[in-house]
Amino acid sequence: MSGSRLRTRNEFLASLLFLALVALLPIWVTSTYWQGLFVVSMYFALLAVAWNLLAGYTGQFSLAPTAFAMIGAYTTGLLAHHFGLSPLIGIPAAIVVSAVVGMGLGRVVFRLRGPYLALTTLAFAEILRHVVRNAHQITRGEFGLRVPALFDHHLAYYYLFLALLLAVQTGLYLMLRSPAGLYLQAIRDDETAAASRGVNVIVWKTVAFTISGAICGIAGALYVHFAEIASPQIGHIFETGLVLASVVIGGMGTMIGPVVGAFLVEITSEQFRAIGLNHMLFFAFMVIVIVRFFREGLWGLSMLALRPWLAQPARKRRPLGAGGS
Amino acid sequence: MSTHDHMRRTGLGGLAIALLALGSGGVAAQDQEPIRVGVTLTQSPPGSVIQGTEVLRGLEIARDLFNEQGGVLDRPFELIVEDTQGIPERGRAAVEKLITSDKVVALTGEHQSSVCLAEIGLAARHNVPFINTNCWSDDIRKEGHPQVFSPNMYNSRVATAMAEVIQGLGVDSVFALAENTDWGIGQAEALDELLEQTGADIDYQYELLDREARDFTPVIQGVRGENPSLVALIMLPPAAYVALNQLNEQGVLPSEDTWLFEGGGLFSYPDFWENVREAAQYGIYFDLYHTDMALSDLGAQVREEYMQRHDGTPSRLVFQAADSLLLIKEAIANAGSTDPDAMIEWLQQAEVPGTRGTITFSDEPGPLFQQWVDTPYVTYQVTELDQKLEETTLISAPDLGVQLDQLRQPKN
Amino acid sequence: MLTLEAILLGLIMGVFYGLMAFGLTLIFGILKVVYFAHGESFMIGAFTYSLLALWLGVPLWLAIPSAIVVGGVVGVIVERLLIRPLYEKFGDWQAMRDEYAIIVTFGLSLFLVNLANQVFGPYPFRGPDLTDVARFEFGPLIVGGHRLAAAVLGGAVLIGAYLFIQHSFGGKQIRAVAQNRFGASIAGIDTRMVSMLVFALAGGLAALSGALLAPLFHASPDVGVLPALKSFVIVVLGGMGSPIGSLVGGLILGVLESLGALYISYTYRDTYAFAILILVLLLRPQGLFGERAREV
Repeated sequence: MSGSRLRTRNEFLASLLFLALVALLPIWVTSTYWQGLFVVSMYFALLAVAWNLLAGYTGQFSLAPTAFAMIGAYTTGLLAHHFGLSPLIGIPAAIVVSAVVGMGLGRVVFRLRGPYLALTTLAFAEILRHVVRNAHQITRGEFGLRVPALFDHHLAYYYLFLALLLAVQTGLYLMLRSPAGLYLQAIRDDETAAASRGVNVIVWKTVAFTISGAICGIAGALYVHFAEIASPQIGHIFETGLVLASVVIGGMGTMIGPVVGAFLVEITSEQFRAIGLNHMLFFAFMVIVIVRFFREGLWGLSMLALRPWLAQPARKRRPLGAGGS
Repeated sequence: MSTHDHMRRTGLGGLAIALLALGSGGVAAQDQEPIRVGVTLTQSPPGSVIQGTEVLRGLEIARDLFNEQGGVLDRPFELIVEDTQGIPERGRAAVEKLITSDKVVALTGEHQSSVCLAEIGLAARHNVPFINTNCWSDDIRKEGHPQVFSPNMYNSRVATAMAEVIQGLGVDSVFALAENTDWGIGQAEALDELLEQTGADIDYQYELLDREARDFTPVIQGVRGENPSLVALIMLPPAAYVALNQLNEQGVLPSEDTWLFEGGGLFSYPDFWENVREAAQYGIYFDLYHTDMALSDLGAQVREEYMQRHDGTPSRLVFQAADSLLLIKEAIANAGSTDPDAMIEWLQQAEVPGTRGTITFSDEPGPLFQQWVDTPYVTYQVTELDQKLEETTLISAPDLGVQLDQLRQPKN
Repeated sequence: MLTLEAILLGLIMGVFYGLMAFGLTLIFGILKVVYFAHGESFMIGAFTYSLLALWLGVPLWLAIPSAIVVGGVVGVIVERLLIRPLYEKFGDWQAMRDEYAIIVTFGLSLFLVNLANQVFGPYPFRGPDLTDVARFEFGPLIVGGHRLAAAVLGGAVLIGAYLFIQHSFGGKQIRAVAQNRFGASIAGIDTRMVSMLVFALAGGLAALSGALLAPLFHASPDVGVLPALKSFVIVVLGGMGSPIGSLVGGLILGVLESLGALYISYTYRDTYAFAILILVLLLRPQGLFGERAREV
């Protein structure tokens, strides 16, 4: 197996190990408050994985992951609030709608790179949030939309989210191993070269946007059923910041970085909030430092340090500017 | 960083998290000595931090006063404060933590309607008494949860006060600027209904403004075009300050043709004069407290204490907060325990002498459910720049009635 | 009549937008990357001006230049610490990764906003008006006193900055680096100095914009977020790297927003900018005055 495929496999296995640990946690953690925290961590993990697919693996730096979560959230929320439809209809609808919007967005921005792409997706996200905040006749604006619960116990949500996260990770792994994975990474590393080698850039970028959007959408939908309220705060730029922080701190372009990063960010956030410190300040600082000095994130750092003990070849510290793995 | 740290962080990250969780769980005190009261309020944006600070001050003063007197059932009060940031979801999460993790006997402190609405459902489900400190929205009462008691101001009452003044002045056109929150919209609509009920032919319109926005010029151009006889302002800072200043910028206020009625208790904010200058003059301000208002012994004590600890005079939020904790104290004392059902039952038929009057709760379902119907209010007029509360002209008060002849207008 | 007033107010706003967009377009010109923390220069200017005047009683004629200087200094510090690695460490900057720039400047933006929140608290500060005249009335048109005075001052500075870029030696160096960094360095231009100069200029102008708008918008930690987003739109509308584009684009956006708010919908006034951005990027990505590039 080539170095990169081996790495991906090991990252995937490591992430499975981590998720298995998470599955066992409720044995010790019986406080519903903490279980709730982990559910929120898994929500962020899903967004982080989705964003990592788009940005870390396909090189498309979208600033709209939380916008898609908001789309999913309000799809199921509005269907429940205005038409009384059950979440069994609402959640699949959320997936469909966010996938379709993702596809549309991908198709529309395929020509844009780097800063232009970031700005356009940011503009899209801001317009959406603004509309949701102000169309209060439909969305109840800032007060939020009451959303029916799915279960009575936090544990049920816990395992539902975990199952989803597991499914998404597995799906992502299979995709990365397939030719699709090669195409996406080729696009990330050098789009012109990929196109010249016959990769249908438009199609694969659109695919990445669609899948990423769909994952964010279902995460958002499940989240609001858990929180029993949908508010435009979901799509706020600071939430996007948390998603970015999770991926960057954990390790961008790896299979395990986003997941562990999300848990770290959420749990640490709570602890900071508990002692009254501004957690965003800390995370923003961490993001700057890590991107500046440790591009590979914590996972990359640990792999570097553990190299003597592991069989796999280390991921070389990629100097900024050089492509390839 | 050593390899050991690396290993801990990634491979055993999950275990570390679990240990952390265990540790926290253990620390949550099994010792029930103090009476733990859960407090949800805003301590960081985007919610109103100024409000949250005043509420917290009021609660702390009340807690210290009560603890000096021996607390209740020989146990001292302990406040457990959670920052909701003014976001409904955070409020809900805060309440969840307070109930399940901290095991509080009652909840109070909330001062923003949207967050209140998100919180009361949980409080009801866990049967924890919830004393609404400053959420004015009628929807909170309409939900009908027996756990929720509202000794504070409510939208329809403000609208009533406004309608009173509007009718008394013989005004024929009103333009309201309201923020697009539960409170703002609720009040704008309540005012609309009331004005219709009076039967007088009053032209009423309102615009909903985004409290995050900073430039209301186009809307105010519209107000100028309409040239109303009275502008009603139903907003909170900082948007309220910006709106007032821009009304001044375009020459709408102050003017001898147009009255200003402010319906959010804006004047009592400590940074009012720093942010609003000429625009504030000749405005009629709604509030729940005036220096000329009669205070009970407790109210006087609270005011004394506040002025000793902080700069300036206390705002209404301080008194409402003190009343909230007082209700919890009385409920526990009279029920003889912290059993929620006993507390709720007692509160429903209680008569508690608060800081500004005797608090009782109505049992009429709808927007007055478990509301202190006669919660006091005042209106006063500000006539000069940098005027202090004690120098303003009292226009209406509980024992005073309405004195519109005291009103003055600018000489243009 | 309302229309005329709206256009006038729009032009005034356009001046403030232009101040922000001018520096940003120069940054784009020399670096070709997004600088997300630009709004924080605005915020820094607003706070500096307001607090110097309110807390230290500094007179206006000193407070405004102080705000410009502080903005410029912060800009230089950011350039030195975070931006320099973009082009310095990795040789040929054409191959520079956008992701670094996006993440670092996005993180910087979040950091500065929260830092301001921590230090100053979330209470808004209202800086003093430039003039005691409450409003100017030209017939049926009414314009706020401070607003007009600020626009005149800002406009003058903006024109000065434009002349600097077009005619001074420093300005020509900046334009040379924007066209071809490598070529410029071969020609003997110190590209590091130029970068610092650009960041100082951009930071100073944005800070001025913030200071001028502080009495209207009130300084608060997140006051710069929306102006920054709008300045991105203007830079794209006018053409990335085009100084004249940023001036014209600023005026156009100001007027469009003003008219849109009056006639289409006031509630969604802030979305017009984003809609314009998307339209421009899709239909004419090079903007009004930008060069047509092979890839955007």
